[in-house]
Amino acid sequence: MKKTATGGAFSALRLSPRAWKDTLLAILLLLPTIYILLKTFVSPIIESLVWSFYKYNLMDGSAIQYVGFRNYNQIFQMNEFWVSMKNTAYFTVFTVGAELALGFFCALLLNQMFRGRTFFRGIIIIPWAMLTLVNGLMWNWIYQPGYGGLTVVLHNLGLLSPDSNPVWLTNSTQIMTFASIADIWKMTPYMTLLLLAGLQSLNPALYEAAVMDGAGFWKKIWHITIPQLAPAMIVAVVLRVLGAFRVYDILTVFSNDPTTSVSFLTYNYAFRYFYLGRASAMAWISTIFILILIVIYIRMLKKNNELE
Amino acid sequence: MKTKFGITKLFVIALTFLVIIVGCSPAPKASESSQPPASSGNASGNTSGGAVDLNSLDWSKLDDPALKNEEINLLVVDTEGDLTKLLQKFSDETGIKLKVSATDYNSLFNKITTAALSNSSEFDLIEMDTIWAGQFLAGNLVEDLTNVVPADVQSGFTQSSLSSVKYNDKLAAMPYFSSTKHFYWNMKMLKDAGYDAPPKTWTEFREMSKKLTKGGKYASGWSWKQAESLNCDFVGMVYSFGGSFFKQDGTLEVNSEGAVKALQYMTDLIRNDKTIDPASLQWTEDDVSNAFRAGKIAMMSNWEGQFPDVNDPSKSQIVDQADVGLLPGEGSVVSASVTGSEGIAIMKSSKHKLASLAFLKWMASKSFQEPNFTERGTYPVLQSLYEDPKVKEADKTQTIDKIMAQFEYGQNRPNGPGYVEWADILSAEVFKALAGNKSPKQALDDAASKIDQAIKKAQ
Repeated sequence: MKKTATGGAFSALRLSPRAWKDTLLAILLLLPTIYILLKTFVSPIIESLVWSFYKYNLMDGSAIQYVGFRNYNQIFQMNEFWVSMKNTAYFTVFTVGAELALGFFCALLLNQMFRGRTFFRGIIIIPWAMLTLVNGLMWNWIYQPGYGGLTVVLHNLGLLSPDSNPVWLTNSTQIMTFASIADIWKMTPYMTLLLLAGLQSLNPALYEAAVMDGAGFWKKIWHITIPQLAPAMIVAVVLRVLGAFRVYDILTVFSNDPTTSVSFLTYNYAFRYFYLGRASAMAWISTIFILILIVIYIRMLKKNNELE
Repeated sequence: MKTKFGITKLFVIALTFLVIIVGCSPAPKASESSQPPASSGNASGNTSGGAVDLNSLDWSKLDDPALKNEEINLLVVDTEGDLTKLLQKFSDETGIKLKVSATDYNSLFNKITTAALSNSSEFDLIEMDTIWAGQFLAGNLVEDLTNVVPADVQSGFTQSSLSSVKYNDKLAAMPYFSSTKHFYWNMKMLKDAGYDAPPKTWTEFREMSKKLTKGGKYASGWSWKQAESLNCDFVGMVYSFGGSFFKQDGTLEVNSEGAVKALQYMTDLIRNDKTIDPASLQWTEDDVSNAFRAGKIAMMSNWEGQFPDVNDPSKSQIVDQADVGLLPGEGSVVSASVTGSEGIAIMKSSKHKLASLAFLKWMASKSFQEPNFTERGTYPVLQSLYEDPKVKEADKTQTIDKIMAQFEYGQNRPNGPGYVEWADILSAEVFKALAGNKSPKQALDDAASKIDQAIKKAQ
């Protein structure tokens, strides 16, 4: 390996004049993109890391000063931060779990042959295609006490007594649960599509062999579908976990409570209170959590590839 | 083993890289707008010879012909487009080109702060809500106009509109429109319940509410979603019950005796009497207005501008049934309401400050304030206009005197630099009391302690 690498590098130095010219042209053409990426992507990341070690309150006229790890310490001692982490974890586990179960069920259904299959495959995308805020506003209307859809349906089904008129969004647990339901409705199609693509790539011969061995529906699901679909499931779950962990916009429709998610809290500290130092530290802490998730994802993928 | 070594090596390299980056990177710099102003204000009219400095703030030079070549950009809330049309009169009258960047209220704060953060001089003038005055002045986003606008001009404004654009006696903006919350009631629903007049005190309000709540309809609805709209109602209520948000030494106090009484009263209405539509905990002002127009609630507290819609049959089921007046008081307090007046400020980063000042002079004069009421129904900031025949004539609903009366009882929210954070804490705790998760006293004590901690952490 080492020899090849060295040999490759060595031969790269002995390029023909034409190859040198091509390489230089390629670099020249890449430079604008590299510059834009550095300015818009790399530079803000580094800048936020630097800011996280400073007291940098933009809007109160106070001086900027180096404070070391004080911002990180303050955040770890902040009750609000841990409440927001707990709420984010609850939202992530609840939504991704439900979306995986429902998405798997829908994918199995849409993988069967039946009349109108293409139509159903098409319309299932609608909730996912909807703007997150529009989806939030729609569900906010459903959750209105009195004449909101949820209360009316529960009254009609007799599950709520006629004189009962509950207010659905009165504390952060309720807000998280009802916001999760809105998110599940919107994001299940995404999970369905990813799993459906995985299902279509499965070898039908496996099912035929299983049927000949006398396997029933559940045995086929348990011993063939789920193990074969595992790579697609891992990708789908990890992508959704990353998305759910960063939840922000849908929550703003239901409440102005920033402790409902760590992204909401970070946004508030950065762009409403303008404590840029503390907000940067908070953003870095959540980034580290996400990085841990990514490492787990890579390891799981690797393990899966090794098994194959 | 090999993988483990690889990961460790990668981690060490990444850490070293980060340490080098952080160590070698320069400290964050204060934005350009935080630098001291290039030119100082002059309201006295002292002039010196030579060409006029177009970036100065000199009231005496606003008629300079050199201004005719200037172009200024104003960021303002205008969702209908009618304000932009009206503002073009400024260009017609002065020759200064005015570009209007219209936006909605919810995007306003973000647009202003994004412009300030990026040191952009895109906007010369911005609409400023009363609660941002301290933040914008302390953060050096806007020019201090205290010594720029002459005293005789300032004395012509209504007291509530002028105080709402001030922080620590400094003028952050020119008053733009007057606003407080008002008391609206459905005359038919009150009459059906046996009342000919609205309540004058909160005690009367409570008694009347019990009779008015029947048949799926509630006596009142409120904007008590955990948001700024809840703080607005709470501020008015606190002052009604004799409370205040400031101690004698001027420091912030959210758990005064009056504040606890006010919150106890609000909690009693919604949790014990159940005379308030429970959806109020999920409503902001627009939702309350919709419920009032649908005839689902008999009384509400809301901003001006309800009348065009409340008497429009396509939008309302209570045409000609609504009236407006003073919010109730309690004890020796006749009435109290939160102020929502706004101003227009000059950005520190503006490169056309003299032309911007010329706009402010025009905007705060009769030339704009009168048509802004007669054509758009927005209440003027000039005291004299409330007796103006044209304004009186345009007041088709005959409500201007009633609206004006409430302005006398306007109370500002504590608009210090940290207000946005304090307001979030306060609305969260007040909401907990209203939702029955905490007692009113406990909620306000917790709010006080959290606000204290926030102030300490910001230092």
